[in-house]
Amino acid sequence: MNTSAKVSRPRWLTVVGILGLVCMGFTVWLGLWITPPDVVQGNLARLLYIHPPIATVALYWAGGVALAGSLLYLWPRTRSFFWDRLAASAVEVGAVFSALTCITGSIWGRPAWGVWWAWDARLTSTALLFLLELGYLALRRVPADPATRAKRCAVAALLIALDVPIVHFSVDWWQTLHQTGTVLDPGFHLHVHGSMAWTFLLGFIAFSLIFVWLLGVRYRIEVLQDEAGHQEMDVSLAERWSEGADLVSTARAPYPPDGSAS
Amino acid sequence: MSYVDAGYTVALATLFVYGVGLGLRRRRWERALKVAEDSDEPVVPGARS
Repeated sequence: MNTSAKVSRPRWLTVVGILGLVCMGFTVWLGLWITPPDVVQGNLARLLYIHPPIATVALYWAGGVALAGSLLYLWPRTRSFFWDRLAASAVEVGAVFSALTCITGSIWGRPAWGVWWAWDARLTSTALLFLLELGYLALRRVPADPATRAKRCAVAALLIALDVPIVHFSVDWWQTLHQTGTVLDPGFHLHVHGSMAWTFLLGFIAFSLIFVWLLGVRYRIEVLQDEAGHQEMDVSLAERWSEGADLVSTARAPYPPDGSAS
Repeated sequence: MSYVDAGYTVALATLFVYGVGLGLRRRRWERALKVAEDSDEPVVPGARS
């Protein structure tokens, strides 16, 4: 079995990673030094070049990939461990981005709202998303055969996906401390203009590229772990076969085997 | 340190540490599999051959 050939490192992933780093560098440079301070928030608005992009990745990209992967695994015609691994990778990377969404939002909220945390619908539903993702990852570590584990996790991912529209519409459904759309209003009109808009856009691209790179690397680990599981299974089976063969040969041997009994 | 600096530092440092961690995990599994292929031993990532 040539594992390294099966799960070779794709070159496009390296390109995506490098592009993500370059875009991230430009986002930080533009966000911290080039864009002007906001009229209302002053320099604090610079945090918004990273917080909404991180939240977008956590909610839509990671949530979308996890949902699509899980549905495609559950659908009998498209059932493949590729979708299960992809969903699992998206949930783990998504959990990191969800945690960062809460942390960067909290750092912005302290000077803007006067509190680190409020039990507001947007904040609470985002924290719930993070907890659901941790639950998924814990469920994945419960010992089971790969098919059972994949099915359980796909169902758990559907629960995560249920929270995504709640997070998205929370600011419209309930009166919240969190403002409504930061970049676009419900009519898709842009709130941000000029260099601030370009920095925003670059931030979205940078974090999206970083997400794709992290997802690709995490997926590869998932493949390697499955390969290791197969190898371990092969070794265990070989050991059981050899034990069985020993037992059979012992049973067939004349008693006493060495003829020394008195 | 301002709130802005803290936010950027936390976000970028977390992603950097997670990315490096993923790279190291991948390398450990690749090595473990290679060792297992050569010796037909069960795969234990991080085990020294």
